[in-house]
Amino acid sequence: MRRFRNRISKSLIIGSGLLAIPVLTAIFAPVISPHSPTYLDLTQILEAPGAPGHILGTDSIGRDLLSRIIFGSQISLLVAGLGMLGALVIGVAVGSLAAFTGRFGDLVVMRFVDVQLAFPYILLAIAITSAVRPTVGLVIGLLVLAGWAGFARVVRSAALQEISRDYVKAATLLGASRTRIAWKYVFPNLLPPIMVLAAMLMAAMVLIEATLAFLGMGVPPPAPSWGTIILDARNYLGSAWWLTVLPGLGILLTAVALNLIADGLQTLFGTRIERDAVG
Amino acid sequence: MFRYVAFRVAQGLFLVVAITFAVFFILRISEGDPARIAAPMAANPDVINTYKREFGTDRPILSQLTTFLSGIPHGDFGTSFRYLQPVTSLIKERFPATLELALLALLLSVSLSVSLGVLSARRPGSIVDWISGTLAMFGQSAPSFWVGLLLVAFIAVRLGILPAGGNESPLSLVLPTLTVAVGLLPTELRVLRASMREVLGQDYIRAARAFGLPEWRINFVYALRNAVLPMMTLVGLDMGYLLGGVIVAEGVFNYNGIGQLALLALNSRDYPLIQGITVLTSSAFIGLNIITDLLYSVVDPRVRIAQAAA
Repeated sequence: MRRFRNRISKSLIIGSGLLAIPVLTAIFAPVISPHSPTYLDLTQILEAPGAPGHILGTDSIGRDLLSRIIFGSQISLLVAGLGMLGALVIGVAVGSLAAFTGRFGDLVVMRFVDVQLAFPYILLAIAITSAVRPTVGLVIGLLVLAGWAGFARVVRSAALQEISRDYVKAATLLGASRTRIAWKYVFPNLLPPIMVLAAMLMAAMVLIEATLAFLGMGVPPPAPSWGTIILDARNYLGSAWWLTVLPGLGILLTAVALNLIADGLQTLFGTRIERDAVG
Repeated sequence: MFRYVAFRVAQGLFLVVAITFAVFFILRISEGDPARIAAPMAANPDVINTYKREFGTDRPILSQLTTFLSGIPHGDFGTSFRYLQPVTSLIKERFPATLELALLALLLSVSLSVSLGVLSARRPGSIVDWISGTLAMFGQSAPSFWVGLLLVAFIAVRLGILPAGGNESPLSLVLPTLTVAVGLLPTELRVLRASMREVLGQDYIRAARAFGLPEWRINFVYALRNAVLPMMTLVGLDMGYLLGGVIVAEGVFNYNGIGQLALLALNSRDYPLIQGITVLTSSAFIGLNIITDLLYSVVDPRVRIAQAAA
């Protein structure tokens, strides 16, 4: 680990520090939230930030904005996190399948990846959501669809690069089995790009979840996610701008933190992954 | 070269066919019933069945599929459940607006990233470099619908300088274009800056300096010409991403294009319309992608050699 020590960059430290804010907020939401996120107080609607009892004001049906943003962090992070994990597992599985099964397997598997990447994502999401009723599970599924193919492509090319190295040839000559080579030799070398990609993808997932929510394809109400809070506030954009600005800052903060971490990990491992691999 | 063109076209056709089948079957796993949505509230089963017959959703899936597929060669994507008009003409009406927004945003983002990318690659660590780095971080961390909403709230509503949406005047294109461009900028900027840094370190640039050529000429002519290719490849590959950004912006600004049509179709489960939009726009963008890809090989001999080898 010593070789990594002097490559720990400022972005990694700042990014991790910033990420702690939404993560801790999500964990301690019930403790720090001043109100219930779904409690309506119809006597206090569209209060501006600074109103007594409501530090960040209230929305159009009198729900406390701060509490909704705090509890929104739970849904937004959980859904994005599970979406990222799903995309990671499928992406790694498909990418290594393509890399290890020889030319024919590669050809077949990568055509699925091509189709996914050529399919305009928002239109795919619209087609699916118009067919299936939106649930939390569906939203996570949509996020997995957004990420797995790009992930698979990067894992495949990283694995192919490793396989062509001399040490793999040497292991083959020594009689190591394919599974042993894949697990013991190639996979550990794939971990750095996978970690970088996971951070990038997580940032993208937070944005995609919010975007889907805003377009009416998100987690169904009344559970708040940052995207649905903004959607609810849409008709009050001119008069109560804070209802749009503040939850968006939560999204921005989380994504900046994750992107900084991704940059920091690139420096740490000396990898270079283009960002267009995700989203 | 011919082999490469044939290969790209075949690949594109395969993608279009795969997307066509995928979208058809996705829509048939449906839980919601378009007939029930189109029919008046609490209509009796007979009325709903009439709608079903009219929409063709009472027929077996295979016969729906053959009807759908046999219409495509004639440009017939059926009749919209919601608008009761042919899908193709609905799309034709709105496609120019979407294309206009997409191209303007592309133009803006490319020119911004070229100027910022060149200036920041020239002086790493300078103020321009810092500004463009921050802009890139913002662009890739802020959801573009939110950026659009902020522009509406502060520039359109507060300051009242520009219209908040619609398609009435050319001015109403400004904010949507800006919104889409902010989303496109970060990747373009990063890629251009990186390749520019690489090119600026090469011998022929040093030679040009030694000849005493003006600095702007070295940067924007000699270096840029060689550094711009990776970014153009990215732009070509990112057509789908561009389309996504445009759809979101259309939703935010009530811009009357394909994206808004698709979002309205989503709410009414207008299958023929969703099918038509998906198949036609993804074909259009796959086609654009192939054309840009082939254009590079005309522009840059190095690409031609790489393609001949592939």
